[in-house]
Amino acid sequence: MLHRRLAVTVSLLVVCSLASSWVGAQAPEWKKIRVGVEGNYPPFSKLGADGKLSGFDIDIARAVCKQMAAECTLVQQEWDGMMPALSARKFDMIVASMTITPERQKAADFSDPYYDVPSRWVAKAGAFKDHSAAAFKGKKIIVLRNSPRAKHVADKYKDSEVLLVNKETDIYMELVAGRGDVGFGSSVVSSEAFLKRPEGKGFAQVGNTVRLDEGGGGVGIAFRKGETALRERVNAALKAVRADGSYKRLADSYFDFDVSGAGN
Amino acid sequence: MFHGYLPAILTGLSNTLLVAALSLLTACVFGLLGAVAKLSGSRTARWTAQAYTTLIRGLPELVLMLLIFYGGQILLNKLVEAQGWEYIDVPPYVAGVLTIGFIFGAYLTETFRGAILAIPRGQAEAALAFGMARGQVLRRIVLPQMVRHAIPGFSNNWLVMIKATALVSIIGLDDMLHRANLAASATREPFTFFVLVALIYLAVTTVSIWLLSRLEKRYSLGVKVVSF
Repeated sequence: MLHRRLAVTVSLLVVCSLASSWVGAQAPEWKKIRVGVEGNYPPFSKLGADGKLSGFDIDIARAVCKQMAAECTLVQQEWDGMMPALSARKFDMIVASMTITPERQKAADFSDPYYDVPSRWVAKAGAFKDHSAAAFKGKKIIVLRNSPRAKHVADKYKDSEVLLVNKETDIYMELVAGRGDVGFGSSVVSSEAFLKRPEGKGFAQVGNTVRLDEGGGGVGIAFRKGETALRERVNAALKAVRADGSYKRLADSYFDFDVSGAGN
Repeated sequence: MFHGYLPAILTGLSNTLLVAALSLLTACVFGLLGAVAKLSGSRTARWTAQAYTTLIRGLPELVLMLLIFYGGQILLNKLVEAQGWEYIDVPPYVAGVLTIGFIFGAYLTETFRGAILAIPRGQAEAALAFGMARGQVLRRIVLPQMVRHAIPGFSNNWLVMIKATALVSIIGLDDMLHRANLAASATREPFTFFVLVALIYLAVTTVSIWLLSRLEKRYSLGVKVVSF
């Protein structure tokens, strides 16, 4: 008896939620857009105690939406499920500091870059002279999984061991925990999340900052293949926010150096 | 101490508990269907149930979750496009509950099957001989006794399942661990939040164990406990 009642309750629940989830047809003018964002990548995106998302990615997404006069819903998504969720139409575009790479361009279309920051090697101060392959021979490099930096490490540092982590900030947790010898990450994140903070004491940048050639074009907004109308509108909106100075205002409120990728 | 993230994490806890409870109901439904199918006289039913438990128990939960959630949605999109309908979104809640329920239903199938087999055959035969219909035998004789045999295995499944809900964040569900992760990133105090979440999970599982052991006692009334 009890089990029968349970079965009825469950099937009702399922039917109700499926029925309520019909979403209106998306007209080609893109009045409503769902934007996939992360939340684990300060200062680009983070979740506040009040449950609100903030950060440079979030602000860019909002500025672009405002420029397009579109009503945007931000959908917070873990990095690992980002591309599948885009293909499954859980959202229409990704604004999550996603670097434009040839591999990713096979799976998605990208906007023009909206920022570009160099990469940086970080290790215990004085541990290494430079970031040549010879200096890191036999050492363990910590880098974000599925990132252009991970590819760079795999290609150029064949004699080093690699520790892949699931989010950018984990690089520095692992580094402090001593599970690797040197971390390779975004110059912005490494300074904001680590070097400028008490945990980063005794650690320093190794050599100069690095720009990855194979990264190609900095960080862009990703779309499903073939959503050309949306991509062109976003590109126009990005141009407009750069032109009217709101991009610079936003960027200056986060970074004390140029992230625009201009003059690159 | 928690930089104001405590309410956010407690909301996450209620999500975790809700997903776990609904998944358990779903898993019970799949488990009962599976167990009955495995013990039924129909070869098709037995084979289907066998395929279900073999496949699901043999694959990692995370892989299944990604396959069902994203793969399922993509299939659904294709179907919908072919039919010329509008886009149907499977909300992460529904997908999460169905996926976890479907996975743990396979484990519960085996738990329930074992529990049913533990009931002496003669009882069902006697009931049939008294003229009860098959459904009546199931409801009056088999299910009430099955519960007693099933509770230990069921408890294990429940505990594993509560913890498995931590995987649902990958499909966009806002559970407790996910919130803790975000809070850890934002405040850069991972251990504060991971320890907090560990303690909360421990509290939930401890209460579960206590409740289930009371339930086991209740269903074992009239059964002599043998101690070694």
